[in-house]
Amino acid sequence: MLLLQNLSNALILACTYILMAAGLTMVYGVLKVLHIAHASVYTVGAFVGVLVFSWLGNFWLALAIAMLVSGIFGVLIYRSTYFYLLNAPRTVPLIASVGMFVMFTDLLQKPFLMGAYQRAFPAGGAGLSAIKTALFSFTAKQVLILLVTLILLVLVYIILTRTKLGLSWQAASMDREMASAVGINLNRSIAANFFLGSALAGAAGVLVGVYNNSVFATMGDLPSYKAFIIIVLGGMGSLPGAILASLILAIVENFLVASVGYVLPRDSIAFLVLILMLMFRPNGLLGRE
Amino acid sequence: MKRTLSVLFFALIILSFIVAGCAPQPTPAPAPEQPAQTEAPQVTEAPQATETPAAPEAPQATEAPAEEPAAPSGEPIKIGFFSPTTGFAAADGTSALQSAQLAVKIINERGGVLGRPLELVFYDDAAKPDQASAIARKLIEQDKVVAAISGSYSGATRAAAPIFQEAGIPMLAAYAIHPEITKTGDMIFRIGTLATTQGRVGAELVGNVMNLKKVAILTIDNDFGISLTEGFKQHAQEIGLEIVLEEKYPLGETEFRPIIGKIKASGAEVVYATGYYNEAANLVSQARDEGLEIPIIGQEGYDSPKFIELAGEAAEGVIITTDLNRDSERPMTRLFLEQYESTYGEKADMVGASAFDAVMVIAYAINTAGSTDPQAIAKAILELKNFEDVASGPFWYYTPEREVVRPISSQIVRGGAFHLYHEFTDEALVKP
Repeated sequence: MLLLQNLSNALILACTYILMAAGLTMVYGVLKVLHIAHASVYTVGAFVGVLVFSWLGNFWLALAIAMLVSGIFGVLIYRSTYFYLLNAPRTVPLIASVGMFVMFTDLLQKPFLMGAYQRAFPAGGAGLSAIKTALFSFTAKQVLILLVTLILLVLVYIILTRTKLGLSWQAASMDREMASAVGINLNRSIAANFFLGSALAGAAGVLVGVYNNSVFATMGDLPSYKAFIIIVLGGMGSLPGAILASLILAIVENFLVASVGYVLPRDSIAFLVLILMLMFRPNGLLGRE
Repeated sequence: MKRTLSVLFFALIILSFIVAGCAPQPTPAPAPEQPAQTEAPQVTEAPQATETPAAPEAPQATEAPAEEPAAPSGEPIKIGFFSPTTGFAAADGTSALQSAQLAVKIINERGGVLGRPLELVFYDDAAKPDQASAIARKLIEQDKVVAAISGSYSGATRAAAPIFQEAGIPMLAAYAIHPEITKTGDMIFRIGTLATTQGRVGAELVGNVMNLKKVAILTIDNDFGISLTEGFKQHAQEIGLEIVLEEKYPLGETEFRPIIGKIKASGAEVVYATGYYNEAANLVSQARDEGLEIPIIGQEGYDSPKFIELAGEAAEGVIITTDLNRDSERPMTRLFLEQYESTYGEKADMVGASAFDAVMVIAYAINTAGSTDPQAIAKAILELKNFEDVASGPFWYYTPEREVVRPISSQIVRGGAFHLYHEFTDEALVKP
């Protein structure tokens, strides 16, 4: 019983990782940029979500607007920075990305934006009800996270495999120049990719904000590297890989703490797994050679 | 692939610097360039002027007002103040700064110190030791302060303390609780209660006030949590508590569900959990979600209105030990709580009360000593007796180790606010 409960809690933890990592891996797939500032998009999403929620009191509207704003924010990051660095050595956009992450975090902490304090995000389960069985249970918040994650993943899957846009991303991820040569409007395609990936990060921010009932300017610190490790584990650019890696990481974290306690900070487990992975399977779980 | 790997490691190294907060200078030179000189006597416009401490650009030099009892005049007396108003500790740092500014305002409205206005010279240390030591030098050499207050965390405070000690300038640690701080030397004092003392009071609360026996201890893995647990366990042994489970968790943890499962299985009657308000809010909410209904005992780390805001319903019934008694009828406590809320639109917390009290103690010491000589100020603080002009008081006296002795209260969350649960006045118990 305890085992199943731990497993269901791990599943929810995994969901919060999946949305963040999915957006990051999509961006990497097409652009081959390690987009650290993705974590700023996540924070902005949570911030917009909590603002809209406090004005309108409707979680679903807050989620939609937060995703929209984060999507636009992501495209702006692309157009203002990476766009000009596409042909530069790969460390250049990386450094730009780290710089932007630090800048946005500090900016968000200014009193006229988020300020120093944590804000509550009391959306509860957004009207959903808890699931209780003899073996395991999900609180209303957990049901909400599971539901939103599933819906968004199905949506992303459809876009990736059933639309021209998705196919153009796949083409671009294989060979940007070739894709452009066969008539794909690369600029529009990449912008749309950024929009969707960033919207997912915004959704992740909103969900984590609701789950922990707190939104704050430095909330992106942890996801900035954890999502990054997850996509390396899963294989850079691989969406199924990111999902698999999120699940594995969440389960390992949860069970290690439940069985032996905090032998080391929970968040450092990810690094251990990363080191092992790079030693034995440097292309990730589902990565291509 | 090799290229990807090298890029990757590069990224990880940069990130670990940022996240660990130890990058030499990640942000283009923060505040230390221009001090915010918050001279308080602005009778009409004070709240406005003090509301944005994070942007310390313009020194707000104002002439002393002509009304009020004997308005202070002459050369201002400068007190140094540093706290983190940016970075991960910005919430505490802002609270401390605002409270210190409020204290300065109140003192100046009452005629200042030795007839002269008090002036706070503030720098943001981002809770970083390297910045704190640079700030300490600046406060001593450039600003020529007569005394200083650390409104920062233990790490930064420990870095600054030896510099003030060497210069012979008294420094008061507002709420930094590391035992080593006051051991630096005879110029270093503390306002907050030593963590081991507070842990001892926590055990007393569990065993002799609530009459419970089986305890599960959750310790946040830093100086603060470890010293608290040390004090708790020592007294727990003396009064015969049974510790059925003990776990450590890292700072900033958000997922307590696996550990809650273990607590449920341990048969504990009560949880003693050290931590700060964000960890505590997650712990308490998740415990109630998972059906763990036994009492949860915290300490001053929980002491913030944000704890109640973030934990919501789940905060009800949580009991903490703290220096700030919300239900106290003492005039200075009431004045602090009311003025803080009306000035800043937020409820005050214990961190703020400690910074407020630090200013009050220094002002008292200067007045009593009749001079701004640093040695005389330090001597006056040591000789202080039954001092009532503090929010978290009364301060009975200072020990020769420069730790304060005063009653410690425990507060319970009821109806969305902290209220008095029990006050510990046994001197043997509350003395460090």
